[in-house]
Amino acid sequence: MIDRTKWFFHPIFIFIFSIVALATSLVLYIYWYVEVSTGLETMVRKFNLDTSQIFTPQTWVVIMILSILVGIILAGIFIIFVYNQKLVQLYRMQHNFINNFTHELKTPVTSLHLYLETFQKHELPRDDQLKYIRFMIQDVNRLADNTGRILNLARVESRNYEGKFVTSDLVTIVEQFCNDNDHLFRNCAITIHNPSDRSFPYRINPLLFEMLIMNLLTNAIKYNESDIPAVDITFLPQRRSLYINFEDNGIGIDKSEIKKVFRKFYQVGLSDNMTAKGSGIGLYLVQNIAKIHKGTVNARSKGVGQGSIFTVVLPFKPEKKQ
Amino acid sequence: MNNAEKKKILIVEDDAHIAEGMKLNLSLQGYTVFIAPDGPSGLQQWKELNPDLIVLDIMLPHIDGISVLRSIRLEDERIPILIVSAKGETDDKIKGLSFGVDDYLAKPFHLDEFLLRVERLLTKVSWYRNDDLNNARLDTVAETYSFGENRINFTTHTAQCKCGVVILTEQEVKLLKLFIANRGKPLSRQKLLEIGWGYSRNTTTRTVDNFIVRFRRYFEDNPHEPVYFKSIRSIGYLFSHD
Repeated sequence: MIDRTKWFFHPIFIFIFSIVALATSLVLYIYWYVEVSTGLETMVRKFNLDTSQIFTPQTWVVIMILSILVGIILAGIFIIFVYNQKLVQLYRMQHNFINNFTHELKTPVTSLHLYLETFQKHELPRDDQLKYIRFMIQDVNRLADNTGRILNLARVESRNYEGKFVTSDLVTIVEQFCNDNDHLFRNCAITIHNPSDRSFPYRINPLLFEMLIMNLLTNAIKYNESDIPAVDITFLPQRRSLYINFEDNGIGIDKSEIKKVFRKFYQVGLSDNMTAKGSGIGLYLVQNIAKIHKGTVNARSKGVGQGSIFTVVLPFKPEKKQ
Repeated sequence: MNNAEKKKILIVEDDAHIAEGMKLNLSLQGYTVFIAPDGPSGLQQWKELNPDLIVLDIMLPHIDGISVLRSIRLEDERIPILIVSAKGETDDKIKGLSFGVDDYLAKPFHLDEFLLRVERLLTKVSWYRNDDLNNARLDTVAETYSFGENRINFTTHTAQCKCGVVILTEQEVKLLKLFIANRGKPLSRQKLLEIGWGYSRNTTTRTVDNFIVRFRRYFEDNPHEPVYFKSIRSIGYLFSHD
Protein backbone atom coordinates (compact mmCIF):
# COMPACT_ATOMS: atom_id res chain seq x y z
CA MET A 1 0.00 0.00 0.00
CA ILE A 2 2.67 2.44 1.10
CA ASP A 3 5.36 1.28 -1.24
CA ARG A 4 3.40 2.22 -4.33
CA THR A 5 2.71 5.82 -3.32
CA LYS A 6 5.18 8.49 -4.36
CA TRP A 7 7.90 9.65 -1.99
CA PHE A 8 6.21 13.02 -1.29
CA PHE A 9 3.21 11.18 0.13
CA HIS A 10 5.43 9.38 2.59
CA PRO A 11 4.25 10.17 6.14
CA ILE A 12 7.74 11.07 7.38
CA PHE A 13 8.19 13.52 4.53
CA ILE A 14 4.79 15.11 5.18
CA PHE A 15 5.63 15.32 8.87
CA ILE A 16 8.99 17.02 8.32
CA PHE A 17 7.54 19.27 5.64
CA SER A 18 4.72 20.50 7.85
CA ILE A 19 7.11 21.15 10.75
CA VAL A 20 9.38 23.16 8.46
CA ALA A 21 6.37 25.08 7.10
CA LEU A 22 5.14 25.79 10.60
CA ALA A 23 8.54 26.97 11.83
CA THR A 24 8.94 29.20 8.76
CA SER A 25 5.50 30.69 9.26
CA LEU A 26 6.32 31.42 12.92
CA VAL A 27 9.53 33.19 11.93
CA LEU A 28 7.69 35.12 9.23
CA TYR A 29 4.86 36.12 11.57
CA ILE A 30 7.34 37.52 14.07
CA TYR A 31 9.47 39.18 11.40
CA TRP A 32 6.52 40.89 9.77
CA TYR A 33 5.07 41.86 13.10
CA VAL A 34 8.34 43.44 14.19
CA GLU A 35 8.73 45.15 10.84
CA VAL A 36 5.21 46.54 10.84
CA SER A 37 5.44 47.73 14.43
CA THR A 38 8.79 49.48 13.86
CA GLY A 39 7.33 51.12 10.80
CA LEU A 40 4.37 52.19 12.85
CA GLU A 41 6.67 53.44 15.57
CA THR A 42 8.65 55.69 13.20
CA MET A 43 5.38 56.98 11.79
CA VAL A 44 4.08 57.70 15.28
CA ARG A 45 7.32 59.50 16.14
CA LYS A 46 7.23 61.44 12.86
CA PHE A 47 3.71 62.70 13.38
CA ASN A 48 4.18 63.03 17.11
CA LEU A 49 1.09 61.05 17.98
CA ASP A 50 0.21 59.83 21.44
CA THR A 51 2.25 56.58 21.78
CA SER A 52 0.16 55.11 24.59
CA GLN A 53 -2.91 55.09 22.34
CA ILE A 54 -1.36 52.96 19.61
CA PHE A 55 1.19 50.77 21.42
CA THR A 56 -1.03 49.07 23.91
CA PRO A 57 -0.03 45.44 23.19
CA GLN A 58 3.56 44.51 23.97
CA THR A 59 5.70 42.88 21.26
CA TRP A 60 6.82 40.07 23.56
CA VAL A 61 3.29 39.13 24.48
CA VAL A 62 2.40 38.81 20.80
CA ILE A 63 5.46 36.67 20.10
CA MET A 64 4.72 34.47 23.10
CA ILE A 65 1.10 33.89 22.13
CA LEU A 66 2.12 33.11 18.56
CA SER A 67 4.74 30.64 19.78
CA ILE A 68 2.30 28.92 22.10
CA LEU A 69 -0.25 28.54 19.30
CA VAL A 70 2.36 27.20 16.92
CA GLY A 71 3.52 24.86 19.68
CA ILE A 72 0.00 23.50 20.09
CA ILE A 73 -0.33 22.94 16.32
CA LEU A 74 3.05 21.19 16.36
CA ALA A 75 1.94 18.90 19.15
CA GLY A 76 -1.21 18.15 17.18
CA ILE A 77 0.76 17.25 14.07
CA PHE A 78 3.06 15.07 16.12
CA ILE A 79 0.17 13.16 17.67
CA ILE A 80 -1.43 12.61 14.27
CA PHE A 81 1.92 11.42 12.96
CA VAL A 82 2.36 8.96 15.82
CA TYR A 83 -1.18 7.61 15.35
CA ASN A 84 -0.56 7.28 11.66
CA GLN A 85 2.60 5.26 12.28
CA LYS A 86 0.69 3.05 14.73
CA LEU A 87 -1.97 2.51 12.08
CA VAL A 88 0.61 1.52 9.50
CA GLN A 89 2.14 -0.88 12.00
CA LEU A 90 -1.26 -2.44 12.72
CA TYR A 91 -1.92 -2.75 9.03
CA ARG A 92 1.37 -4.57 8.61
CA MET A 93 0.56 -6.84 11.54
CA GLN A 94 -2.79 -7.72 10.05
CA HIS A 95 -1.16 -8.32 6.68
CA ASN A 96 1.46 -10.61 8.26
CA PHE A 97 -1.19 -12.46 10.16
CA ILE A 98 -3.40 -13.05 7.12
CA ASN A 99 -0.40 -14.04 5.05
CA ASN A 100 0.80 -16.59 7.56
CA PHE A 101 -2.49 -17.83 8.77
CA THR A 102 -3.97 -18.35 5.32
CA HIS A 103 -1.34 -20.97 4.80
CA GLU A 104 -1.83 -22.57 8.20
CA LEU A 105 -5.57 -22.90 7.66
CA LYS A 106 -5.62 -23.74 3.99
CA THR A 107 -3.10 -26.57 4.18
CA PRO A 108 -5.17 -28.92 6.38
CA VAL A 109 -8.35 -27.95 4.51
CA THR A 110 -6.69 -28.78 1.19
CA SER A 111 -5.52 -32.12 2.51
CA LEU A 112 -8.95 -33.02 3.88
CA HIS A 113 -10.62 -31.96 0.66
CA LEU A 114 -8.19 -34.01 -1.39
CA TYR A 115 -8.71 -37.21 0.60
CA LEU A 116 -12.48 -36.88 0.80
CA GLU A 117 -12.67 -36.45 -2.96
CA THR A 118 -10.34 -39.39 -3.44
CA PHE A 119 -12.61 -41.55 -1.29
CA GLN A 120 -15.58 -40.39 -3.30
CA LYS A 121 -13.87 -41.26 -6.54
CA HIS A 122 -12.07 -44.51 -5.78
CA GLU A 123 -12.76 -47.67 -3.84
CA LEU A 124 -9.54 -48.12 -1.88
CA PRO A 125 -8.44 -51.22 0.04
CA ARG A 126 -9.29 -51.10 3.74
CA ASP A 127 -5.65 -50.70 4.85
CA ASP A 128 -5.17 -47.68 2.63
CA GLN A 129 -8.46 -46.26 3.79
CA LEU A 130 -7.36 -46.49 7.40
CA LYS A 131 -4.03 -44.85 6.62
CA TYR A 132 -5.71 -41.90 4.91
CA ILE A 133 -8.38 -41.63 7.56
CA ARG A 134 -5.58 -41.23 10.11
CA PHE A 135 -4.17 -38.43 7.92
CA MET A 136 -7.57 -36.78 7.92
CA ILE A 137 -7.90 -37.03 11.69
CA GLN A 138 -4.49 -35.40 12.02
CA ASP A 139 -5.59 -32.64 9.66
CA VAL A 140 -8.75 -32.03 11.65
CA ASN A 141 -6.59 -31.80 14.77
CA ARG A 142 -4.32 -29.31 13.04
CA LEU A 143 -7.33 -27.18 12.17
CA ALA A 144 -8.62 -27.45 15.72
CA ASP A 145 -5.18 -26.45 17.07
CA ASN A 146 -5.03 -23.44 14.78
CA THR A 147 -8.46 -22.18 15.64
CA GLY A 148 -7.73 -22.94 19.30
CA ARG A 149 -4.60 -20.79 19.15
CA ILE A 150 -6.56 -17.81 17.89
CA LEU A 151 -9.20 -18.28 20.56
CA ASN A 152 -6.54 -18.69 23.26
CA LEU A 153 -4.87 -15.52 22.10
CA ALA A 154 -8.13 -13.64 22.48
CA ARG A 155 -8.70 -15.15 25.93
CA VAL A 156 -5.20 -14.48 27.20
CA GLU A 157 -5.33 -10.91 25.90
CA SER A 158 -8.62 -10.19 27.59
CA ARG A 159 -7.44 -12.01 30.75
CA ASN A 160 -10.52 -14.15 30.52
CA TYR A 161 -9.17 -17.69 30.77
CA GLU A 162 -10.64 -20.84 32.11
CA GLY A 163 -9.24 -22.81 34.99
CA LYS A 164 -7.98 -21.83 38.38
CA PHE A 165 -4.55 -21.23 39.76
CA VAL A 166 -3.20 -24.16 41.70
CA THR A 167 0.13 -24.68 43.41
CA SER A 168 2.09 -27.46 41.81
CA ASP A 169 5.67 -28.52 41.30
CA LEU A 170 7.01 -27.08 38.06
CA VAL A 171 9.46 -29.92 37.42
CA THR A 172 6.68 -32.49 37.71
CA ILE A 173 4.44 -30.43 35.45
CA VAL A 174 7.10 -30.22 32.73
CA GLU A 175 7.97 -33.93 33.04
CA GLN A 176 4.36 -34.90 32.87
CA PHE A 177 3.77 -32.65 29.89
CA CYS A 178 6.66 -34.24 27.96
CA ASN A 179 5.38 -37.73 28.74
CA ASP A 180 1.82 -36.93 27.76
CA ASN A 181 2.86 -35.38 24.48
CA ASP A 182 5.75 -37.62 23.48
CA HIS A 183 3.92 -38.44 20.23
CA LEU A 184 4.54 -34.84 19.15
CA PHE A 185 8.24 -35.02 19.87
CA ARG A 186 9.18 -38.25 18.14
CA ASN A 187 12.76 -38.32 16.92
CA CYS A 188 13.59 -35.43 19.24
CA ALA A 189 15.77 -35.43 22.33
CA ILE A 190 14.10 -33.57 25.15
CA THR A 191 15.94 -33.74 28.45
CA ILE A 192 14.99 -32.18 31.75
CA HIS A 193 17.78 -31.12 34.10
CA ASN A 194 17.22 -30.19 37.70
CA PRO A 195 20.73 -29.70 39.17
CA SER A 196 19.47 -28.52 42.54
CA ASP A 197 17.33 -31.65 42.74
CA ARG A 198 14.50 -30.04 44.62
CA SER A 199 10.90 -29.23 43.87
CA PHE A 200 9.64 -25.81 42.80
CA PRO A 201 6.09 -25.37 43.99
CA TYR A 202 4.52 -22.43 42.18
CA ARG A 203 1.02 -21.12 41.68
CA ILE A 204 0.15 -21.77 38.07
CA ASN A 205 -2.81 -22.02 35.79
CA PRO A 206 -2.16 -25.52 34.41
CA LEU A 207 -3.86 -24.92 31.05
CA LEU A 208 -1.94 -21.75 30.35
CA PHE A 209 1.35 -23.08 31.64
CA GLU A 210 1.07 -26.12 29.39
CA MET A 211 0.41 -23.81 26.48
CA LEU A 212 3.63 -21.98 27.33
CA ILE A 213 5.69 -25.18 27.43
CA MET A 214 4.04 -26.43 24.26
CA ASN A 215 4.84 -23.26 22.34
CA LEU A 216 8.47 -23.14 23.46
CA LEU A 217 9.05 -26.81 22.67
CA THR A 218 7.31 -26.82 19.29
CA ASN A 219 9.23 -23.70 18.28
CA ALA A 220 12.52 -25.32 19.28
CA ILE A 221 11.70 -28.28 17.06
CA LYS A 222 9.97 -26.50 14.22
CA TYR A 223 12.78 -24.03 13.62
CA ASN A 224 15.41 -26.70 13.70
CA GLU A 225 17.51 -28.20 10.94
CA SER A 226 19.57 -30.62 13.06
CA ASP A 227 19.26 -34.33 12.38
CA ILE A 228 17.97 -34.90 15.88
CA PRO A 229 16.35 -31.77 17.28
CA ALA A 230 17.30 -31.48 20.94
CA VAL A 231 15.89 -29.35 23.73
CA ASP A 232 17.45 -29.13 27.18
CA ILE A 233 15.17 -27.84 29.89
CA THR A 234 17.09 -26.68 32.95
CA PHE A 235 15.70 -25.46 36.28
CA LEU A 236 18.04 -22.96 37.91
CA PRO A 237 17.07 -21.30 41.18
CA GLN A 238 18.99 -18.05 41.72
CA ARG A 239 18.44 -15.66 44.61
CA ARG A 240 14.81 -14.59 44.38
CA SER A 241 14.05 -16.03 40.96
CA LEU A 242 13.72 -19.34 39.23
CA TYR A 243 15.21 -19.54 35.75
CA ILE A 244 13.82 -22.18 33.42
CA ASN A 245 16.04 -22.46 30.34
CA PHE A 246 14.84 -24.03 27.12
CA GLU A 247 18.04 -24.52 25.14
CA ASP A 248 17.78 -25.92 21.61
CA ASN A 249 20.09 -26.79 18.73
CA GLY A 250 17.86 -25.04 16.21
CA ILE A 251 18.42 -22.40 13.58
CA GLY A 252 19.06 -19.66 16.14
CA ILE A 253 17.97 -16.04 15.95
CA ASP A 254 19.75 -13.09 14.44
CA LYS A 255 20.78 -10.43 16.98
CA SER A 256 18.51 -7.84 15.39
CA GLU A 257 15.49 -10.13 15.68
CA ILE A 258 15.84 -11.17 19.33
CA LYS A 259 13.51 -8.57 20.77
CA LYS A 260 11.08 -8.61 17.88
CA VAL A 261 10.25 -12.32 18.06
CA PHE A 262 7.92 -11.67 20.98
CA ARG A 263 5.83 -9.19 19.03
CA LYS A 264 2.33 -10.16 18.06
CA PHE A 265 2.12 -11.72 14.59
CA TYR A 266 5.85 -11.21 14.11
CA GLN A 267 7.68 -13.67 11.89
CA VAL A 268 11.43 -13.76 11.39
CA GLY A 269 12.17 -12.85 7.80
CA LEU A 270 10.41 -10.58 5.37
CA SER A 271 6.66 -10.76 5.29
CA ASP A 272 6.73 -11.51 1.58
CA ASN A 273 9.36 -14.18 2.04
CA MET A 274 7.40 -17.19 1.04
CA THR A 275 9.40 -19.58 3.16
CA ALA A 276 8.07 -18.05 6.37
CA LYS A 277 5.83 -20.37 8.29
CA GLY A 278 3.75 -20.09 11.40
CA SER A 279 1.25 -17.63 12.69
CA GLY A 280 3.44 -15.29 14.72
CA ILE A 281 1.30 -15.94 17.75
CA GLY A 282 3.30 -18.50 19.75
CA LEU A 283 5.94 -16.37 21.44
CA TYR A 284 3.53 -13.51 21.97
CA LEU A 285 1.33 -15.96 23.85
CA VAL A 286 4.33 -17.25 25.80
CA GLN A 287 5.22 -13.74 26.87
CA ASN A 288 1.67 -12.99 27.97
CA ILE A 289 1.33 -16.26 29.87
CA ALA A 290 4.62 -15.56 31.65
CA LYS A 291 3.26 -12.14 32.59
CA ILE A 292 0.07 -13.68 33.96
CA HIS A 293 2.31 -15.84 36.17
CA LYS A 294 4.16 -12.71 37.32
CA GLY A 295 7.22 -13.73 35.35
CA THR A 296 9.07 -12.71 32.21
CA VAL A 297 10.53 -14.50 29.25
CA ASN A 298 13.61 -13.62 27.23
CA ALA A 299 15.59 -15.05 24.36
CA ARG A 300 19.29 -15.40 23.69
CA SER A 301 21.16 -16.75 20.72
CA LYS A 302 24.76 -16.79 19.58
CA GLY A 303 23.48 -16.10 16.10
CA VAL A 304 21.90 -17.77 13.12
CA GLY A 305 22.56 -21.50 13.04
CA GLN A 306 23.82 -21.68 16.60
CA GLY A 307 20.69 -22.55 18.53
CA SER A 308 18.79 -20.39 20.94
CA ILE A 309 17.93 -20.27 24.63
CA PHE A 310 14.54 -19.14 25.83
CA THR A 311 14.43 -18.40 29.55
CA VAL A 312 11.30 -18.15 31.64
CA VAL A 313 12.04 -16.17 34.79
CA LEU A 314 9.60 -16.58 37.67
CA PRO A 315 9.81 -14.90 41.05
CA PHE A 316 10.63 -17.63 43.55
CA LYS A 317 11.42 -17.34 47.22
CA PRO A 318 13.78 -19.99 48.57
CA GLU A 319 12.30 -19.57 52.09
CA LYS A 320 9.33 -21.61 51.02
CA LYS A 321 11.60 -24.68 51.05
CA GLN A 322 9.87 -27.78 52.21
CA MET B 1 -0.96 -46.00 -21.41
CA ASN B 2 1.74 -48.67 -21.47
CA ASN B 3 4.72 -48.81 -19.18
CA ALA B 4 7.20 -47.64 -21.76
CA GLU B 5 5.61 -44.21 -21.95
CA LYS B 6 4.62 -43.86 -18.31
CA LYS B 7 4.95 -40.17 -17.59
CA LYS B 8 7.05 -39.02 -14.64
CA ILE B 9 5.67 -36.32 -12.37
CA LEU B 10 7.61 -34.57 -9.63
CA ILE B 11 5.63 -33.09 -6.74
CA VAL B 12 7.44 -30.39 -4.78
CA GLU B 13 5.26 -29.94 -1.71
CA ASP B 14 6.25 -29.65 1.94
CA ASP B 15 3.01 -30.89 3.42
CA ALA B 16 3.36 -34.68 3.57
CA HIS B 17 -0.38 -35.31 3.56
CA ILE B 18 -1.12 -33.23 0.47
CA ALA B 19 1.91 -34.63 -1.36
CA GLU B 20 0.86 -38.18 -0.51
CA GLY B 21 -2.73 -37.51 -1.59
CA MET B 22 -1.60 -36.06 -4.94
CA LYS B 23 0.74 -38.98 -5.44
CA LEU B 24 -2.02 -41.47 -4.71
CA ASN B 25 -4.36 -39.92 -7.26
CA LEU B 26 -1.75 -39.38 -9.96
CA SER B 27 -0.51 -42.96 -9.50
CA LEU B 28 -4.07 -44.20 -9.92
CA GLN B 29 -4.10 -42.29 -13.23
CA GLY B 30 -1.06 -44.27 -14.30
CA TYR B 31 1.75 -41.78 -13.72
CA THR B 32 5.00 -42.41 -11.92
CA VAL B 33 5.20 -39.91 -9.09
CA PHE B 34 8.09 -38.59 -6.99
CA ILE B 35 7.88 -36.29 -3.99
CA ALA B 36 10.36 -33.60 -2.93
CA PRO B 37 9.61 -32.00 0.45
CA ASP B 38 11.57 -28.74 -0.03
CA GLY B 39 13.11 -26.41 -2.60
CA PRO B 40 16.68 -27.73 -2.78
CA SER B 41 15.62 -31.39 -3.00
CA GLY B 42 13.04 -30.38 -5.61
CA LEU B 43 15.78 -28.90 -7.79
CA GLN B 44 18.02 -31.89 -7.19
CA GLN B 45 15.31 -34.40 -8.12
CA TRP B 46 14.35 -32.39 -11.18
CA LYS B 47 17.93 -32.78 -12.44
CA GLU B 48 18.21 -36.45 -11.52
CA LEU B 49 14.80 -37.68 -12.67
CA ASN B 50 14.13 -35.46 -15.66
CA PRO B 51 10.36 -35.52 -15.03
CA ASP B 52 7.70 -34.75 -17.63
CA LEU B 53 5.82 -32.36 -15.34
CA ILE B 54 6.39 -30.58 -12.05
CA VAL B 55 3.70 -29.79 -9.51
CA LEU B 56 5.07 -26.97 -7.39
CA ASP B 57 4.02 -25.39 -4.11
CA ILE B 58 5.08 -21.79 -3.44
CA MET B 59 5.62 -21.73 0.31
CA LEU B 60 8.47 -24.19 0.70
CA PRO B 61 11.28 -24.54 3.23
CA HIS B 62 14.78 -23.26 2.32
CA ILE B 63 13.99 -22.06 -1.23
CA ASP B 64 10.52 -20.83 -2.10
CA GLY B 65 8.63 -22.15 -5.10
CA ILE B 66 9.06 -18.99 -7.17
CA SER B 67 12.85 -19.26 -6.90
CA VAL B 68 12.66 -22.95 -7.80
CA LEU B 69 10.58 -21.99 -10.83
CA ARG B 70 13.03 -19.28 -11.90
CA SER B 71 15.94 -21.62 -11.45
CA ILE B 72 14.35 -24.32 -13.60
CA ARG B 73 13.35 -21.80 -16.28
CA LEU B 74 16.96 -20.70 -16.67
CA GLU B 75 17.80 -24.14 -17.98
CA ASP B 76 14.51 -25.49 -19.28
CA GLU B 77 11.92 -23.25 -20.88
CA ARG B 78 9.61 -26.06 -21.83
CA ILE B 79 8.98 -28.44 -18.96
CA PRO B 80 5.37 -27.89 -17.86
CA ILE B 81 5.10 -26.58 -14.33
CA LEU B 82 1.83 -26.39 -12.43
CA ILE B 83 1.77 -24.29 -9.30
CA VAL B 84 -0.59 -25.44 -6.57
CA SER B 85 -0.49 -22.87 -3.79
CA ALA B 86 -2.47 -21.49 -0.89
CA LYS B 87 -1.62 -18.07 -2.28
CA GLY B 88 -4.55 -17.63 -4.60
CA GLU B 89 -4.70 -13.85 -5.07
CA THR B 90 -4.51 -12.46 -8.59
CA ASP B 91 -1.19 -10.79 -7.71
CA ASP B 92 0.32 -14.13 -6.72
CA LYS B 93 -0.92 -15.75 -9.92
CA ILE B 94 0.48 -12.94 -12.04
CA LYS B 95 3.81 -13.25 -10.29
CA GLY B 96 3.92 -16.97 -11.00
CA LEU B 97 2.84 -16.57 -14.61
CA SER B 98 5.36 -13.79 -15.22
CA PHE B 99 8.16 -16.16 -14.23
CA GLY B 100 6.92 -18.73 -16.70
CA VAL B 101 4.60 -21.12 -14.92
CA ASP B 102 2.19 -22.94 -17.24
CA ASP B 103 -0.80 -23.17 -14.97
CA TYR B 104 -1.81 -22.01 -11.51
CA LEU B 105 -4.20 -23.72 -9.12
CA ALA B 106 -5.20 -22.26 -5.75
CA LYS B 107 -5.54 -24.42 -2.66
CA PRO B 108 -7.92 -25.90 -1.70
CA PHE B 109 -8.48 -27.33 -5.17
CA HIS B 110 -10.88 -29.82 -6.71
CA LEU B 111 -9.35 -33.18 -7.41
CA ASP B 112 -10.81 -33.53 -10.90
CA GLU B 113 -9.72 -30.06 -11.89
CA PHE B 114 -6.20 -30.84 -10.73
CA LEU B 115 -6.07 -34.16 -12.60
CA LEU B 116 -7.48 -32.68 -15.80
CA ARG B 117 -5.04 -29.78 -15.77
CA VAL B 118 -2.13 -32.18 -15.28
CA GLU B 119 -3.37 -34.34 -18.13
CA ARG B 120 -3.81 -31.36 -20.43
CA LEU B 121 -0.34 -30.01 -19.72
CA LEU B 122 1.18 -33.40 -20.47
CA THR B 123 -0.80 -33.75 -23.68
CA LYS B 124 0.45 -30.38 -24.90
CA VAL B 125 4.04 -31.37 -24.22
CA SER B 126 3.66 -34.55 -26.21
CA TRP B 127 2.77 -32.39 -29.24
CA TYR B 128 5.96 -30.37 -28.86
CA ARG B 129 7.93 -33.58 -28.53
CA ASN B 130 6.60 -34.82 -31.84
CA ASP B 131 7.44 -31.52 -33.46
CA ASP B 132 10.97 -31.76 -32.19
CA LEU B 133 11.50 -34.93 -34.14
CA ASN B 134 10.62 -33.13 -37.35
CA ASN B 135 12.59 -29.94 -36.97
CA ALA B 136 15.39 -30.63 -34.57
CA ARG B 137 16.51 -27.94 -32.13
CA LEU B 138 14.31 -24.99 -32.71
CA ASP B 139 13.92 -24.44 -29.03
CA THR B 140 16.64 -22.08 -27.88
CA VAL B 141 14.99 -18.72 -28.23
CA ALA B 142 18.01 -16.48 -27.99
CA GLU B 143 21.22 -18.23 -28.88
CA THR B 144 23.38 -15.16 -28.63
CA TYR B 145 23.27 -12.01 -26.59
CA SER B 146 25.32 -8.87 -27.02
CA PHE B 147 26.02 -5.94 -24.81
CA GLY B 148 28.71 -3.35 -25.43
CA GLU B 149 31.51 -5.08 -27.29
CA ASN B 150 30.68 -8.43 -25.75
CA ARG B 151 28.85 -11.25 -27.46
CA ILE B 152 27.75 -14.35 -25.61
CA ASN B 153 26.89 -17.53 -27.44
CA PHE B 154 24.72 -19.81 -25.33
CA THR B 155 24.88 -22.79 -27.66
CA THR B 156 28.64 -22.99 -27.77
CA HIS B 157 29.11 -21.66 -24.22
CA THR B 158 31.56 -19.03 -25.40
CA ALA B 159 31.86 -15.31 -25.04
CA GLN B 160 33.54 -12.89 -27.40
CA CYS B 161 34.93 -10.02 -25.37
CA LYS B 162 37.74 -7.50 -25.28
CA CYS B 163 40.25 -10.12 -24.15
CA GLY B 164 39.28 -12.54 -26.92
CA VAL B 165 37.14 -15.66 -26.78
CA VAL B 166 36.35 -17.03 -23.32
CA ILE B 167 34.90 -20.47 -22.71
CA LEU B 168 32.15 -20.22 -20.13
CA THR B 169 31.38 -22.83 -17.51
CA GLU B 170 27.88 -24.23 -17.01
CA GLN B 171 27.46 -22.16 -13.85
CA GLU B 172 28.64 -18.97 -15.56
CA VAL B 173 26.15 -19.46 -18.39
CA LYS B 174 23.34 -20.00 -15.91
CA LEU B 175 24.22 -16.91 -13.94
CA LEU B 176 24.54 -14.82 -17.10
CA LYS B 177 21.08 -15.96 -18.21
CA LEU B 178 19.74 -14.96 -14.83
CA PHE B 179 21.30 -11.51 -15.09
CA ILE B 180 20.07 -11.04 -18.65
CA ALA B 181 16.54 -12.11 -17.72
CA ASN B 182 16.62 -9.51 -14.94
CA ARG B 183 18.35 -6.73 -16.87
CA GLY B 184 17.90 -3.42 -15.08
CA LYS B 185 16.56 -5.06 -11.93
CA PRO B 186 18.76 -5.49 -8.86
CA LEU B 187 19.31 -9.05 -7.65
CA SER B 188 20.24 -9.82 -4.06
CA ARG B 189 23.09 -12.19 -3.28
CA GLN B 190 20.61 -14.46 -1.55
CA LYS B 191 18.35 -14.67 -4.63
CA LEU B 192 21.35 -15.22 -6.89
CA LEU B 193 22.40 -18.12 -4.69
CA GLU B 194 18.92 -19.60 -4.51
CA ILE B 195 18.15 -19.37 -8.21
CA GLY B 196 21.62 -19.71 -9.66
CA TRP B 197 22.94 -22.46 -7.43
CA GLY B 198 19.82 -23.96 -5.92
CA TYR B 199 21.18 -22.78 -2.55
CA SER B 200 23.21 -25.22 -0.61
CA ARG B 201 23.88 -24.23 2.95
CA ASN B 202 27.60 -24.72 2.36
CA THR B 203 27.74 -22.13 -0.38
CA THR B 204 28.34 -18.69 1.07
CA THR B 205 27.32 -15.43 -0.55
CA ARG B 206 31.06 -14.93 -1.12
CA THR B 207 30.73 -17.42 -4.00
CA VAL B 208 28.47 -14.96 -5.80
CA ASP B 209 31.05 -12.21 -5.38
CA ASN B 210 33.75 -14.40 -6.92
CA PHE B 211 31.64 -14.97 -10.02
CA ILE B 212 30.98 -11.25 -10.33
CA VAL B 213 34.73 -10.60 -10.16
CA ARG B 214 35.17 -13.05 -13.04
CA PHE B 215 32.37 -11.49 -15.11
CA ARG B 216 33.86 -8.07 -14.64
CA ARG B 217 37.25 -9.33 -15.76
CA TYR B 218 35.67 -10.83 -18.90
CA PHE B 219 33.23 -8.11 -19.89
CA GLU B 220 34.17 -4.78 -18.34
CA ASP B 221 36.60 -2.34 -19.91
CA ASN B 222 37.77 -1.45 -16.45
CA PRO B 223 36.91 -4.15 -13.88
CA HIS B 224 37.36 -1.64 -11.06
CA GLU B 225 34.78 0.72 -12.50
CA PRO B 226 32.10 -1.64 -13.73
CA VAL B 227 29.52 -0.44 -16.22
CA TYR B 228 27.51 -3.63 -16.79
CA PHE B 229 27.79 -5.54 -13.52
CA LYS B 230 27.28 -2.90 -10.87
CA SER B 231 27.28 -3.48 -7.12
CA ILE B 232 24.43 -1.99 -5.16
CA ARG B 233 25.30 -1.47 -1.55
CA SER B 234 23.55 -3.73 0.94
CA ILE B 235 21.38 -5.17 -1.85
CA GLY B 236 23.44 -7.09 -4.36
CA TYR B 237 24.16 -6.71 -8.06
CA LEU B 238 22.57 -5.04 -11.04
CA PHE B 239 23.16 -5.92 -14.69
CA SER B 240 22.29 -3.21 -17.17
CA HIS B 241 23.39 -1.77 -20.49
CA ASP B 242 22.00 0.53 -23.18
